[in-house]
Amino acid sequence: MARHIHVLKVHHLTLSFPTRKDPNPKPILDDVDFGIRDGEILGLIGNSGSGKTMTSLAIAGLLPEGAQITGGSIKFRGEDLLTMKPRERRNMLGKDIGMIFQEPSTALDPLMKIGKNLDEVLVAHGVKDPKERREKILNMMAMVGFDDAAAIYERYPHQLSGGQRQRILIAGAALLAPKLLICDEPTSSLDTVTTVQILDLLKGLCRKLQMTILFISHDLSAVSNFCDRVMVMKDGKIIDKDTTSDILTNPKNAYTAELLTNARLDTRMLGIERAHVDYSSSPVLTAKGIEAGYSDTMFGKGSSNKVLKGVDLEIYPHEILGLIGSSGCGKTTLIRALLGLLPHSGTASVVGRRTGAVFQDPVSCLNPSHTIKWHLNEALRVYEKKLPRSERMAKITAALEEAGLDSGFLLRKPHQLSGGQRQRVAIAMCLIMNPGLIIADEPFSSLDASSAAEILKLLTDINRERGTSFLLVTHNIHIIRQIAPRVVVMDGGKICESGLTSEVLSNPKAPATIRLLDAETKLHGA
Amino acid sequence: MTGKQTVLYIIRKVAELLATLLLVSLLTFLAFSVIPGDTARVMLGANATQEQVEVLREELGLNRPLPVRYLSWLGGAFTGNLGNSTQYRTDVAKLIANRLPVTLGMSILAFVMIIAISYPLAILSSRKPGKFADQVCSVLGHILFAIPPFVLSLLLILIFGSILKNFTIGNYVAPNVDFGIYLQSLLLPAFAIALPKIAMTFKFLRSSMIEQKASDHVATAKSHGLSDLKIMFKHILPNSNVSSITVISLVLSDILGGSLIVEQVFNLPGLGRLLLSAISQRDFPLLSGIVFYLALVTVLLYFAADIFSSLSDPRIRIR
Repeated sequence: MARHIHVLKVHHLTLSFPTRKDPNPKPILDDVDFGIRDGEILGLIGNSGSGKTMTSLAIAGLLPEGAQITGGSIKFRGEDLLTMKPRERRNMLGKDIGMIFQEPSTALDPLMKIGKNLDEVLVAHGVKDPKERREKILNMMAMVGFDDAAAIYERYPHQLSGGQRQRILIAGAALLAPKLLICDEPTSSLDTVTTVQILDLLKGLCRKLQMTILFISHDLSAVSNFCDRVMVMKDGKIIDKDTTSDILTNPKNAYTAELLTNARLDTRMLGIERAHVDYSSSPVLTAKGIEAGYSDTMFGKGSSNKVLKGVDLEIYPHEILGLIGSSGCGKTTLIRALLGLLPHSGTASVVGRRTGAVFQDPVSCLNPSHTIKWHLNEALRVYEKKLPRSERMAKITAALEEAGLDSGFLLRKPHQLSGGQRQRVAIAMCLIMNPGLIIADEPFSSLDASSAAEILKLLTDINRERGTSFLLVTHNIHIIRQIAPRVVVMDGGKICESGLTSEVLSNPKAPATIRLLDAETKLHGA
Repeated sequence: MTGKQTVLYIIRKVAELLATLLLVSLLTFLAFSVIPGDTARVMLGANATQEQVEVLREELGLNRPLPVRYLSWLGGAFTGNLGNSTQYRTDVAKLIANRLPVTLGMSILAFVMIIAISYPLAILSSRKPGKFADQVCSVLGHILFAIPPFVLSLLLILIFGSILKNFTIGNYVAPNVDFGIYLQSLLLPAFAIALPKIAMTFKFLRSSMIEQKASDHVATAKSHGLSDLKIMFKHILPNSNVSSITVISLVLSDILGGSLIVEQVFNLPGLGRLLLSAISQRDFPLLSGIVFYLALVTVLLYFAADIFSSLSDPRIRIR
């Protein structure tokens, strides 16, 4: 077979979702044209909705129902994929083209053991001998970093961590050493330490198995350390492509430059100022000896699974307190305990005004069948039961405006909003209660770079103008460094280190802090 | 699960069963004692004198205080003696046992039909939701669900009994006499019972399969190159089964209680009709016997559903 410089060549690809009402809608992919060279790692970045995922699904032949390719071609090693029979195309999946998705927690069949989950790839591609299949799987599992592959083989997905599951998924995709591996946001739900491990693993596999990778991400730091070349996508078009170093250091395209500024979440560039914190005043939140856990026994009590092992915490007025730690250290459990959502022992007292909360996923926080107005009204009603209608509306509009949305959004429903807009609604729901403290759990991580930058600015504005304190949980140490004067680090259900951010991060003492900072350096560069 | 845990689990389930039975019997007894009507009066008819009624009341022990009557019945029940029916004057357990072949046979047949019809239809529908096959199935499901059971029964009699003439109505034969005719006589009533339940199970399975189709692990399976058929049988079906177990156990406990209307229309001596006569004749021993049976069936089914769930989903541990 002739050697092709390009493993994959996408040629003027146009795709849309035509309906009976609108036979010629605005294309989702508009004249997409690029090639992936043999052995390279090509990055694809862009905001949500720019068409990155659609591009990858078009290549794999897994487009959702209703999508129609109206022009162009996709050639894999010289063969036109679009004129192939569906059966032939399906046969290429797993064998010639592998895929890895964003959410490792749900991407494995929960009813099947890990071994079975991987086994189906080999069965589907005609490896008949069970012994040979098992051996192949165990080898691949060892290659993706499982020392105890035989034991993991017999486990169920829910018994593994997110990072382990992602490694299993990588093993599944690489099992037959496909020429092209498409990775759609493979690290965006993982913490920094795990992200670095996964990227290292992918790089190693790429070399060992001579794979070519199309790497889709909105995480620019991942892209910059991992990819040889980068393409930027906007509104279904590829508007910029260049080598990674050129794109990152010397972007020629204005949009690329903007995307990079946003993605760096650089407070100076975003015009964010810090609030002054008076540490002599009494704290808004004092927590002492918080212990909590999840019971896992026959009768609901007895030896429970303790997650928090005595946490002390103080947050002062006007302060943004950063809370960091790798997955499973108890951050989320602590937040749930502080919000009173989880039974706990120890005391947590909030002085003065109420506590609001903003969570990671703005989609599941809003009720899909109700309007934005209903949501705000609901939040208001909890505290202000007997407010006249006009005042109620005034408060709702004011909160929405402060969160950066005009009153035109009042009658919309959550699905008509973008991720960033939904997060703004969640923040407006906090603001309407006039909180003294807002607990924000990874408020940026489900958002693309532009929305994340906007939300970061909004939260710091609220902190400065209203004097609202924040407990900010994030795995983005870069943000903590810039906006949080003080930071606490959690490890194994305890606070292992705390103090002024500048001191803790420049002179870390606890092993957990050192691990986090190492990973950050690896990912973002020094 | 360790051996000790298993033993604890079984002890807990048996305790649950006993508590349920106790509560159900108490409620039945209370409900029965507050509704108007006198067992003795009903038994003797309107022409009996007050003295005759009094004598019978004394004989049946109806003049004793309420708690005493309940405790004496309860004592009997726990020693395996459900008492004698006041209207039939025979052992309650025997009466129920006589009716069970009808109800059990009908339930099993109906259950087989429900599974055999709703699963293929749900698979067909969920393959292409919103398309022709799906719409036909959904409309049919709504119609079946909306028609009252007695109309459905009459329709079936009309079609199979009067027009096609391959089914004789009201021709029940006990299984030990002729098993073939026994089955035949239960086929149509079982179908009448099954139809609305098929609609219900189908609707549930369909939505659960459509949900599974959109799940991440199905996307992974697709990216592994599996065929649609394989994905359906290896991923979608087993996963939707997990949530269907509860629904199917509810359906089963419902049909095992016997269907009064269908039994009436097809003239079958089933539990439903026995229950009706127990209520109308103020036959407390019989009524509580039947209620006892229903509670037992329900608890046992939930127990079975628990076991099945934990067997089919490794995330559910028996608790």
